[in-house]
Amino acid sequence: MTIQLNKVIPDFLEKEKVDRSKIWNHSIAIHKGERVQIIAPSGSGKTSLVHFLYGLRHDYKGQILINEKNIHGWNAEAFAGIRSNSLSIIFQDLRLFPDHTVLENIQVKKSLHPFDQATSIEEMAGRLGIANKLGKLARTCSYGEQQRIAIIRSLQQPFDFLLMDEPFSHLDENNRGIAMQLIEEEATKRKAGIILADLKRITQFNAGKLMEL
Amino acid sequence: MSVQTPGKISFKTIAPFLNIGGNNTSRFFSYAGLGIGVMLLLCSVQMYININQLLKDKNPRKNGYDFISVTKTVTNQNMGSDNRFTLADINELKAQPFIEDAAPLNANQFRAKASAGNIIPFSTDLFLESVKNDFIDTVPASFSWKPGQADVPIIFSADFLEMYNVFAPAQDLPQLSESSIGAINIMLECYSPTGIQTFRGHIVAVSDRINSVLVPESFLLWANKMYGNADYVPAARVYVKTVDANNTSLLNFLQQKNYHVNKDKTKFGRVKQVLQTVVSGLGGFAILVILLAMMLFSFYLQLMIARSKDNLQLLLTLGYSPSWFSKTVAKKWIPAYTMIILAALVAASLLQFAFQHVSLNGKDELPSFLHSSVFLLAGVLWLLCIAVNYRLIKKLLYRL
Repeated sequence: MTIQLNKVIPDFLEKEKVDRSKIWNHSIAIHKGERVQIIAPSGSGKTSLVHFLYGLRHDYKGQILINEKNIHGWNAEAFAGIRSNSLSIIFQDLRLFPDHTVLENIQVKKSLHPFDQATSIEEMAGRLGIANKLGKLARTCSYGEQQRIAIIRSLQQPFDFLLMDEPFSHLDENNRGIAMQLIEEEATKRKAGIILADLKRITQFNAGKLMEL
Repeated sequence: MSVQTPGKISFKTIAPFLNIGGNNTSRFFSYAGLGIGVMLLLCSVQMYININQLLKDKNPRKNGYDFISVTKTVTNQNMGSDNRFTLADINELKAQPFIEDAAPLNANQFRAKASAGNIIPFSTDLFLESVKNDFIDTVPASFSWKPGQADVPIIFSADFLEMYNVFAPAQDLPQLSESSIGAINIMLECYSPTGIQTFRGHIVAVSDRINSVLVPESFLLWANKMYGNADYVPAARVYVKTVDANNTSLLNFLQQKNYHVNKDKTKFGRVKQVLQTVVSGLGGFAILVILLAMMLFSFYLQLMIARSKDNLQLLLTLGYSPSWFSKTVAKKWIPAYTMIILAALVAASLLQFAFQHVSLNGKDELPSFLHSSVFLLAGVLWLLCIAVNYRLIKKLLYRL
């Protein structure tokens, strides 16, 4: 799978920021298996970029191609297909089901695709230190715990790319390292690419490409 | 490291995330409304069929047709004029879609007198008529005549025979049966300006349908020309062949043309018309009830989806297919619709059974069970409910 951006410019972004950017209004290709970190200060359109790639928003000019197909004309069915098979995501705002348990939040993603997961949910939860939270309602967990739930959920499907939008903002260095290691293992098993967008460089992420937004 | 069983996606997976419960009152009201509406509609269709069945003409029918006698209504205004049927009148009758055929009854244009000799001292002037053989209920092979033939076969009306048998004893005349009347030699005298010709008449059949003394058409046409000097004479009576004598279109047409028909054939016509109108009205009401029930159910669905909007949007964001959602959620209500339609069918069946046994005392004029078209209608309604439900859910989900 290849993701291409051809002179993409968000409709809302100021001209100066577009001119300064190494991504907006440029032609970029990211291939499956690559590790890309996008460093973006606040207000530069980092979350918007992730949402554009995931198909949540379409308020931009230019083209985003996935496997050389322009995603601008895709319908809900087409995006559903790619989100369940090829594209996974960790949202900056997490987007969990607050009134359901941690386990239910993770399993609802797992049920979507008949994917044979070698590492169990319980093992992942144990590694990230939230094994004892599986039966608790998501809204009762701290923000850092919720981030770890979102991470585990994103690893419950096959993917060619994992999109991450500030996934570790509320994790300390130790947990960040553990989480990144888990993500790296799962991505490597799938030969998948990772696109991580954050305010600053994540040292635990072994990025092959560094881009400034 | 343990190997997980691959996830299996079903309604159970997403059920906890949908706010299906609550507002059960409107849901059950819509089920009840739908059940009542469907039952009323099925019953009204069955009653329509029952009415057609019960009010069909019971008189002997030939090859599945009814035959009715039609004359022009004589009023004070028109009684001085010629109220016979012209060729144009007869062609107009034949052209109607509800009339298979029409044939005039030709009458004698000369004086005819019949007597039965010494055995039955009875003589009378009489009228003779003829009509196409296809319109007569019993036509034996002997009912034919060629010029030169001295014997004239006659088909006699059963009503006339009955009348004769009523007054015969008072006149010291023997009563006659249908089989014995054929043995009587009838002297048939035809009067013309030049003299009287006598034929030998024999009654070869008795007719339940036509109140007349019928002779072969070939004889009467020849005799009218010979003794009455008449080539063509308009008929005062026309027989009409139709599939159903109580057909409302037929009755309306005859009424509009001011034609008179023999009432016993059409007595059920107006009754049938009224009953069918009532039953059709009931059917229309039933459709309204069904529509209201479906509308109430759609409100329930809209409320359910509105309450679950956040969760539904997130599920779609995570990769759940709107199409799969629509089908899966819509399928959940198939058992409910199936039960409702089946219950309505059972109720309608019980009503038909009760009607047949209680009102008709179990007579076989009507079947005890529903007509096949009622079952077909139930099937169509079931499919419609499922299709409408699916489309509504799909529309609501795609809007999210």
